[in-house]
Amino acid sequence: MIIDERDNALEDLFRNKLEEPEVIPGDDLTRHFMRRLERKEFLRFNPSRFNVFYFTALAAAGATVAGMLLFSPPKNTLHQPEAYDSVTLSEMTIIPETMTGDKPADLSGSVGPDRKGAGPIIISNEPAPGREVVTERQTVISTTSHDTAEEAVLISKNEIASTATGLLRAAIETSTVAGCVPLSVNFRSIASGSFMTVWSFGDGGSSDEQEINYIYDIPGTYNVVLTVFDDKGHKAVSSSRIEVWPRPRASFEIHQPDGYLTENSIRFVNLSTGATQYLWDFGDGVSSGAFEATHRYEAYGRFDVMLVAFSEYGCADSVIVTDAFTDAGLYIRFPNALMPNTAGPTGGYYTARSDRANQVFHPVASGVTSYNLKIFSKQGVLVFESNDLNLGWDGYYKGQLCSPGVYIWKVRGSYRNGEPIVMSGDVTLLNY
Amino acid sequence: MSDQHIIEGCIRHNRKAQQALWKQHSGFLLGICLRYATDRMEAEDMLQEAFLKIFFNIGEYSGTGSFRGWLRKVTVNTAITYYHKNLRHKHHVDIDEFVTIETGSEGFEEDFCTAEDLYRVLGELSPGYRMVFNLYTVEGYKHHEIAEMLKIDVNTSKSQYSRARAILRKKLEKLAELKKRYI
Repeated sequence: MIIDERDNALEDLFRNKLEEPEVIPGDDLTRHFMRRLERKEFLRFNPSRFNVFYFTALAAAGATVAGMLLFSPPKNTLHQPEAYDSVTLSEMTIIPETMTGDKPADLSGSVGPDRKGAGPIIISNEPAPGREVVTERQTVISTTSHDTAEEAVLISKNEIASTATGLLRAAIETSTVAGCVPLSVNFRSIASGSFMTVWSFGDGGSSDEQEINYIYDIPGTYNVVLTVFDDKGHKAVSSSRIEVWPRPRASFEIHQPDGYLTENSIRFVNLSTGATQYLWDFGDGVSSGAFEATHRYEAYGRFDVMLVAFSEYGCADSVIVTDAFTDAGLYIRFPNALMPNTAGPTGGYYTARSDRANQVFHPVASGVTSYNLKIFSKQGVLVFESNDLNLGWDGYYKGQLCSPGVYIWKVRGSYRNGEPIVMSGDVTLLNY
Repeated sequence: MSDQHIIEGCIRHNRKAQQALWKQHSGFLLGICLRYATDRMEAEDMLQEAFLKIFFNIGEYSGTGSFRGWLRKVTVNTAITYYHKNLRHKHHVDIDEFVTIETGSEGFEEDFCTAEDLYRVLGELSPGYRMVFNLYTVEGYKHHEIAEMLKIDVNTSKSQYSRARAILRKKLEKLAELKKRYI
């Protein structure tokens, strides 16, 4: 279904406001375009101007002269290219700056989204999980020029007329002009003799406060426009540009070969996005600035591996893997009671099914590669020793049932990743 | 420099004349580009393309008719070329185009809709809607002309136009309401 009524109000609005709008391009754009034009013109055939054809001819001539001079005395050959160079350089100087002097009305250049000039970026190391906080400690005061006409990026003709008649002036003071998302900016209206203030923050937000803190949570370049009115209906406009930089996302994978931690190099695969610089911290005091890293640990330990990713704007994100090399599959646990078979020694070999009556003292373990268990009586007599995980204590010593009471056990060994096991505890032999 | 001097200079590729042309007309043309662009950066790209076309084809300006009109035409054509070049939006017939579209008829209080607001709501439209709306409303082309320029069906042009209009109205009304609350 197609409805083809007219919406005159809407159409008139757009036609009136946008048919002959004037949006003055910034100096940056002008310079950039002029350079581009210069390159294009250089490539065009034009007999009245130095261009690529002349350049080629000159180069060919130069080459010919140089070739000829190879056969003459050496001091001349040295001299010739110099003269040639200086000619081409002076002819090729481009970048016309003549236009920029008397440009009207553009604030975007003066407030400056110039991120190189935006001062140092300090990274504070707050322990927020998985995220670095980047703060920019700088106050940039936007244009203090009191000519409102110069301050508006976008002024339609009738607005210029109204601002010129009044003495009303508007200027924006911002706490920062650029930063990482989410960016909190303090805006202050410095307006003389105003009685009404309207802010438009460029992302759909607006306000009528004199001073306001505004948070941008979507990256982009925002044009903040401050409009002030006085009680006579005059109006002044000022605008400022806020750049909100995207934050990178830090992410990595650990590729750990099987075997002991200390025997192999571990590869850290970088999966970060939106970043240009990286900082690895392997948790053992070693760090690296490489994109991807391999690292070999000197000893077993609990290591927290951290990757911080920085974007070209200095925005950071970090990710930490705590206890990166602790294998959840590695454990050994002992019971604390034992009820031996009174009818005679069982031998101590057991399986999970065969020892339902808890007649054998043995651990529940996984990933254990070496193992030594010793059990002592209260008198210090070694009543049992085993190097076999599958062999536990049946409560007998030299064929005799031991007396009920508390016995001490001690275990040494290691897991398959090289982590040592040193544990001790007690077990109570129960008198059935 | 008068337009006549500038044109003659530009035909000779005189740098001064080219600079003067830029200085005099870039604001006007950027205003047009902004209407066709998603954001300022895209508009600035378009503007540069348009000016290169202007400087290298200025000989084609016949001298009859207004020079500004010619500049506008070149710029609008550049915007159309730009649209086609970045055409990743062939799938433009939405389902909701077949849903009844409410059209309000109330007027707008112009104070609440600045040029900047209009640029912003236009920028938020999808490129196809934006093209059609601009060409029809502001440039004043007919639907069959638009269909030809954009290589789309006449009915597509019509439906995109009315849809764009409804979206714009909704957005502007919301914006005005917001502003009223704050003023």
